[in-house]
Amino acid sequence: MNALLTQLIGSAVAVAAMVGLAAWARIPRPTLPLDQQTARDLIDTDYPGYPINAVWIAADGLGAIARSGDHALVLAQLGDSWVTRDMAWEAAVASPIRGGRVRLRTPDPAAPNLSLAVSGVTPWPPQRGPEAPESLIAA
Amino acid sequence: MTLDPIKPAFDPVTLAIPLFVLTIVGEILLRRFRKVKAAYETRDTATSLLMGLGSNIAGLLTGAAIVAVVIWVWQHRIFDIPMTAWWAWVAIFFIEDLTYYWFHRLSHERRFWWASHVNHHSSQHYNLATALRQTWTGGVAGTWLLWLPMALFGFPPAMIAIQKGISLVYQYWIHTEAIKKLPRWFEAVFNTPSHHRVHHARNARYLDANYAGILIIWDRLFGTYIPETDEEPPRYGLVKNLGDFNILRVAFHEWIGIGKDLAGSRSLREVLGYLFGPPGWSPDGSRETSATLKAKWLERQKAEGEAEAAPPMAAE
Ligand SMILES: [Zn+2]
Ligand SMILES: [Zn+2]
Repeated sequence: MNALLTQLIGSAVAVAAMVGLAAWARIPRPTLPLDQQTARDLIDTDYPGYPINAVWIAADGLGAIARSGDHALVLAQLGDSWVTRDMAWEAAVASPIRGGRVRLRTPDPAAPNLSLAVSGVTPWPPQRGPEAPESLIAA
Repeated sequence: MTLDPIKPAFDPVTLAIPLFVLTIVGEILLRRFRKVKAAYETRDTATSLLMGLGSNIAGLLTGAAIVAVVIWVWQHRIFDIPMTAWWAWVAIFFIEDLTYYWFHRLSHERRFWWASHVNHHSSQHYNLATALRQTWTGGVAGTWLLWLPMALFGFPPAMIAIQKGISLVYQYWIHTEAIKKLPRWFEAVFNTPSHHRVHHARNARYLDANYAGILIIWDRLFGTYIPETDEEPPRYGLVKNLGDFNILRVAFHEWIGIGKDLAGSRSLREVLGYLFGPPGWSPDGSRETSATLKAKWLERQKAEGEAEAAPPMAAE
């Protein structure tokens, strides 16, 4: 029992040291804020064959919401990688804003909460204006 | 020489722990000084390593019961296989590896077992830390039952445990992008970083391939071998990646998904489909499975091929 406990504690210390080393090394994949094309490409990778009407980009460029008919295809950055999920467009439009972020609740327990930054320039849901194409306007 | 047929003389995985730590440190440092290809994201690394630690603890909880069953089956064995015979080790090497292949294939192709194995594939990174992202629910999923026929045949429990450990340690070092391709003869026979990168890829073309433990020959034999190509680098992770780094989500999300689906089931067919159909199975076929994703990918390839092959339109 003692040997086991020593092994577990030793492993936990080693885990902390390795995570610390990974943080110090700063070697994640490089990521850039999204532009329209990159967002479309990333969404198309996970949702091949879905026609994309228009794309809304989050205020910080770390996420996007594409409209595909009645679906909202959500793209969100996680660490140095990306996560996508689909939900009803209506539900995405009705999602609440808290702390400067739109809080999206998806139906999937593997990624139930995604949140994207909003701002005065890029409000959610998109408003009528030169920035937002007709197909993105909620109504 | 006598060896205890029940209690393993050593545990290869425990012995390898210092090696795990040293090589992960090595991979990070080599990447830091730009000597090899690798990527480590801090929270992703923490999740992988904590999953490994948690898997150890989960193993302690179910391990004793599983060992008891294996011993009981071995006590009713058909043949007496001596642990000290060289041929017994050669035989178990191949038989255990074949068992692993089918365990691993089942773990990908049927949702109930995928729910336990999915965590190993949940990182969008492929590095030595990813190798330690091990299951917490394997004991509950019951995949260990697949090793019982070996005990019934007569392989001593200690021998099975040691060989399983050797296989796990072998599979550790192949979780790396630092090694591109090994000599042709080695790639032909053994599971390698290149083969296993394909296994961890979420690209449609690479799905459900390379289930090998130590020997890749089983995939070649049973038609699940797909080579890594330079034209399409693997993108790692799940078809639908997890929304955060929470280790409880990593360990249990697919079980929760099964529970949700079962709660909404309206017939025995739906219950069986949600439990034992391929991951992504749905009654109306509205969700993607490996098969539908592969079909879509093939269709797109064909369309792109035709577009390229078509002669350019003459200018008018
Ligand atoms: Zn696998
Ligand atoms: Zn693996």
